[in-house]
Amino acid sequence: MRTLVFIVLVYLVFQIIFLSSSQCARLSSNDDNLIEKTCKQTPNYNLCISSLKSDPKSATADVTGLALIMVNVLNTTATRTLIHINSLIHHSPSPKIKKALLSCADMYYSGIITADVPVSIEALTKGNPKFADDSTLDAAKEATLCEEGFSGNSPLTVDNTSVNNVARVTEAIVKLLL
Amino acid sequence: METNPSHTTTSHYEHSSYYSPLPDHSSQPSPRRPLKGFAVIFASMIFLMSLVTLIIIQSPEPASLEKPEKDQPLSTKPTSFYNISTSSVVLPRGVAQGVSAKSNPSLSGHHGVSYNWTNAMFSWQRTAYHFQPQKNWMNDPDGPLYHMGWYHLFYQYNPDSAVWGNITWGHAVSRDLIHWLYLPFAMVPDQWYDINGVWTGSATILPDGKIVMLYTGDTVDAVQVQNLAYPANLSDPLLLDWVKYPDNPVLIPPIGIAIDEYRDPTTAWLGPDGKWRVTIGSKVNGAGVSLVYKTTNFTTYELLENYLHEVPGTGMWECVDFYPVAINGSTGLDTSVNGPGIKHLLKASLDDTKVDVYALGTYFVNNDTWVPDNPAEDVGLGLKYDYGRYYASKTFYDPKFERRVLWGWINETDTEYEDLAKGWASLQTIPRTVLFDNKTGTNILQWPVEEVESLRLNSTDFEGVVVKPGSVVELNIGTATQLDIFADFEIESLGLEETNEANGGCRGGAVDRSSLGPFGLLVIADETLSELTPIYFRPTNTSDGGLQTYFCADERRSSKANDVFNQVYGSQVPVLDDEKFSMRLLVDHSIVESFAQGGRTVITSRVYPTEAIYGAARLFLFNNATGVNVKATLKIWQLNSAFIHPFPLDQIDTVKPLQPF
Repeated sequence: MRTLVFIVLVYLVFQIIFLSSSQCARLSSNDDNLIEKTCKQTPNYNLCISSLKSDPKSATADVTGLALIMVNVLNTTATRTLIHINSLIHHSPSPKIKKALLSCADMYYSGIITADVPVSIEALTKGNPKFADDSTLDAAKEATLCEEGFSGNSPLTVDNTSVNNVARVTEAIVKLLL
Repeated sequence: METNPSHTTTSHYEHSSYYSPLPDHSSQPSPRRPLKGFAVIFASMIFLMSLVTLIIIQSPEPASLEKPEKDQPLSTKPTSFYNISTSSVVLPRGVAQGVSAKSNPSLSGHHGVSYNWTNAMFSWQRTAYHFQPQKNWMNDPDGPLYHMGWYHLFYQYNPDSAVWGNITWGHAVSRDLIHWLYLPFAMVPDQWYDINGVWTGSATILPDGKIVMLYTGDTVDAVQVQNLAYPANLSDPLLLDWVKYPDNPVLIPPIGIAIDEYRDPTTAWLGPDGKWRVTIGSKVNGAGVSLVYKTTNFTTYELLENYLHEVPGTGMWECVDFYPVAINGSTGLDTSVNGPGIKHLLKASLDDTKVDVYALGTYFVNNDTWVPDNPAEDVGLGLKYDYGRYYASKTFYDPKFERRVLWGWINETDTEYEDLAKGWASLQTIPRTVLFDNKTGTNILQWPVEEVESLRLNSTDFEGVVVKPGSVVELNIGTATQLDIFADFEIESLGLEETNEANGGCRGGAVDRSSLGPFGLLVIADETLSELTPIYFRPTNTSDGGLQTYFCADERRSSKANDVFNQVYGSQVPVLDDEKFSMRLLVDHSIVESFAQGGRTVITSRVYPTEAIYGAARLFLFNNATGVNVKATLKIWQLNSAFIHPFPLDQIDTVKPLQPF
């Protein structure tokens, strides 16, 4: 009986190892190469690599999956910017700055977060990527317009640049799917 | 390419699951303690193994992200901030109410905040006589057809928002292709095979009058498949209800075609062997391709080994269209017509560049292939239907007036934020007739359907107005937002023109002066010309004594708002020796459709002015050439609204089937 137990346990252990290794075979080099290959075709290789690799799912994602990861990064970056905008509004800025901040809040909330991001997700998951192309370009544009609204005295330059860069990397990946 | 004689059924998704059966072990009950201990060890091993397996086995499917709640449709105006709990959340400023239409003078034209759009500016953008739903997003026109006295238009529609998504088939009918009446949705995404979108499709009218609708459905697994639908009641002139074939899909992506590159089936045409052909666009190794299927019943299909045609490097072909045109003819042709004196036009919407391209050529029905007349101007390498904002077009044969009629989707060129703020996005063009251009032999002519003339109110004529170099002449016609303009131009030499001048085309815009042009019209312009949209010709003398002419629309100063996407559009247009420079413009608030030389070159423009709206919009002639006078003759019609509104369905019993023709 004990030998039978032993055999079963050894068998189970081997099952685990086998499953792990078969999965690992899928996890190996091909997908690392896919991330690098994809990022080389974007305007910001380093940003692309660090963004994608920050999500463990990128290891096994196809190009559509990588695009979706970038859309998520876009969403996160835009949301952080929106929080920043909100806090700036509450620090009694001059009327001119406040007006520009409110305008940016519109663009980030209504433009990027509630329009561009959901449309991109839907377009990518449903296999009609051209609408994601339009939307990620639109997101880059919203960030640029927000920045231009300060006529040089922007408190959001780092945020807007970040969002713009992420949007452009996302769009470049989406274009690979067209 | 492999033939795939598909007798497809619904149960075609196979999941191969990999698991190893656990070895049997003795089931002898034993009260001994070691067995109990063993059971505990065994159970923990199973638990551990499942845990490890779960962690290791990753889904190869695309990462699914948090989607916004389906039951929270995007509101047309931003009414609430994101739900991060900060105690003093500031509501973003929505569209200012009741602010005067005067623009903010403190901003210096080019750079500024997202424009301070007012309700007045947004409301003005809605068109008076172009088809658009009452609100929300529209894209591709679908299944246009004529039935029992009514023209039908279906269209991609998002019932929930002014951006693309949740795609449903909207439906509208008209007696005359101009005065449309909204009907309830024809099809909604309610089956596993179209739950992710009831996408684009086309109608085929069978010789016995039956209607077959083939459309792309995006399945629950995001696979693109082709489905069959037909009217529930063919004797209903309004075709209100549609039935989806119970055994859908009728076509699934064949081997070698990606599951997300297989959409937009065309109208079918009949071959001499009595079988129907349908084509579907796709992409193979970066080449746009046109797959061909044969069918007798529209439920079972045979995929041909060859493509109808392919063009390397053009990418995915969407919304393919394929139809005959008569050489030296004056009418359109039914899709199945073939024979001598006929060319076939093959068209694709290019996913990569979002333009509609076409070529004329010859269809060999014996092997279902098509060859372009001029390979250098093959599909995607040569002509476009429209050089402006235009996509996903589709034609149908109108038996009432023997016309080939063309629909085209016109997207917005402002930001999605603005679309959400104003609550709608996209238009259809005024339907256009398509005819082979007998004079050039190398292109088609597009022209607004005659019925648009029923909108005409009064007209104003201008005869021989001379416009000197570098000048602008106002045309006093009253309000200038809903117009049908016919304009002819002649050049009068001043002995100053240059010969053999390089023609920069349209790129430099209307401010880029050359000796013979540009000249034309300034539409949707305000009195001070702070906003204007030039539609113009730029001819240049070529070295062989001929003339090369570009027809252009310059949107770069169409609006002071800097958040609208604007550029210079246009292309070369053949102007024959005995022809004047002629253009026809349909102006309708935020859309301008411009036709040069009877429709040889067409440009559709979207404009979003902030000043040149309502009574402030004006029309001007301009001549920015350096070396010639321009003499213009114009006839300008004021156009009425088409008053597009919902069909009064409560009066439906009084709708008798109309006598055909």
